[in-house]
Amino acid sequence: MKRTVGEMLVRSGIRLPLFLWTLAVLYPIFWMFLGAFKTNAEIYANPWGFPEQFNFDNFVTAWTDYNIDTSVFNSLIVTAVGAILCLVLAIPTAYALERIRFKGSQLLFTLYISAMMIPMVLGWIPLFFLLAQFNMLDNIFGLAIVYAISQLPFTIFVLTSFMGTIPKSLEESAAIDGMSPYGVLWKIVTPLTMSGIITVTIMNAIQFWNEYFMALIFLQSSENYTLALAIDFISNEAQYTNAWGVLFASLVFAIVPVIILYSIFQRRITKGMTEGAIKG
Amino acid sequence: MVQSKKQKYLFLAFCLIPTFIMFSIFTLYPLFSGLYYSFFEWSGSSQTREFVGFDNYTRLFNDDIIPATIWHDYFLVITKVIGIMIMALFIAVALTQLKIKEAPFYRIVFFFPNIMSVVVIGILWTFIYNPNLGLVNSGLEAVGLENWTRPWLGSETWALPSLVLPSIWAGIGLFMLLLMGGIANISKSNYEAARIDGANEWQQFWHVTLPLIWPQIKISILYIVITTLNGSFIIVQVMTGGGPNNSTHVMGSYLYQQAFNQYNFGYGATIGVMILVISLITVILLQFLLRREKVEY
Repeated sequence: MKRTVGEMLVRSGIRLPLFLWTLAVLYPIFWMFLGAFKTNAEIYANPWGFPEQFNFDNFVTAWTDYNIDTSVFNSLIVTAVGAILCLVLAIPTAYALERIRFKGSQLLFTLYISAMMIPMVLGWIPLFFLLAQFNMLDNIFGLAIVYAISQLPFTIFVLTSFMGTIPKSLEESAAIDGMSPYGVLWKIVTPLTMSGIITVTIMNAIQFWNEYFMALIFLQSSENYTLALAIDFISNEAQYTNAWGVLFASLVFAIVPVIILYSIFQRRITKGMTEGAIKG
Repeated sequence: MVQSKKQKYLFLAFCLIPTFIMFSIFTLYPLFSGLYYSFFEWSGSSQTREFVGFDNYTRLFNDDIIPATIWHDYFLVITKVIGIMIMALFIAVALTQLKIKEAPFYRIVFFFPNIMSVVVIGILWTFIYNPNLGLVNSGLEAVGLENWTRPWLGSETWALPSLVLPSIWAGIGLFMLLLMGGIANISKSNYEAARIDGANEWQQFWHVTLPLIWPQIKISILYIVITTLNGSFIIVQVMTGGGPNNSTHVMGSYLYQQAFNQYNFGYGATIGVMILVISLITVILLQFLLRREKVEY
């Protein structure tokens, strides 16, 4: 009997920190949602409590007066174009590196993989002038290209390991039936790798949607701002305008798509990220 | 596959060359030309780019702010490694060994901050530290520690330590999962053998769990170090912008300030080279330090 009491004590002793950390994670996020429904007066009077009534004014103001509509649109474009371009570039290379024997294959793979560990901050200065030369500075498509290439090594890495798990026999029999290697890549390998493609694309999309620093460097005018930049701008201004409610509303715009993706693809995202970290 | 050599090489070229060209233009070329820029004095807008040899490097070694930025980066590295590893290890062990019913719930919640935008995390925490409205100061007042309240991010002493908590908050989930993966792979017979030998739970943790998940621990530490050295400036930029009075500048945020606020692009590139060199040396040293015989029972 004594032992079970002791065990129960140990258990609740361990549950307490877990519970506290849950609170530490969820409360700020929960509170951010509440803040988005409060008036400024309420935020000052009672910053950490419930709003008296839920009103959507902050969302409307953020959307119409603070350019959140444009920046949500820009972020969507950058995310979609970046994710698609990254796939278009990564799938053929991943296939060639995984399946075709050629001289330098290992070297090329190592080159791509080591790029995952190099701090790109050094490259951002020349990239700034390169984009200026191409007339792609302050341009969301220029940013999308930069994003796509920045995730290229990781994407190639994930896709090669997924392609490694497909049996070769399917490709071989398709080739014997007279299918060209382009056909094999497009009609056999791509559908079979779909699970990996989905995983890596979700992760890239979240990355691009969230990204802040490259957007800060490569975008300049407010009509081209992505959501992260627009929010940062509102946050810096809030010190003077005190538009906290609007700030919270725009944070909600930024986080809701991520929450939705996470709740649908939770397993894929966690699996993809841990495997990326282990092998990267 | 039945196909001619020419066909094979054509297909290979189709697969590899466009991607490699894009990768070269947007990754390789910028890195090497960053190295090249570090030998020039260049304000960007005008086309007057002057070769100055090692002047930028001399300036780097005489710049009083540089040693501070390096120290700040390592301060974040060390505190993050300690904080994240202890908490992630505790959570991972608790969730795997103690058969808690709601373990999946904890796992899902604790991981979520890992996929939040740094902007969202930074702004949330800036508000948590807000001197008048923030949770930290109100919490301290509520428990009667009024003397401890301070403008956390506005204080030269406290701003940098204040950045550690959000970084840990946002980082734990990934490493918790990595360690849980390691623990799940340990065979039950190891624990049974230890129990028969009379080892209590703490001894089991110390002599069975820890040695057997050493590979995961090593990877986690390396990963925290690399991502901090290569990316700590993002949260700094969002939360403090390097201030107050340079007390939170890390190498990357100082590069940003020099290059993109003060238009010293040559000097900025020199700082970039320094970041590259420092992070490579750190990773190599760390791999050497963490080397340890692989344990198998």
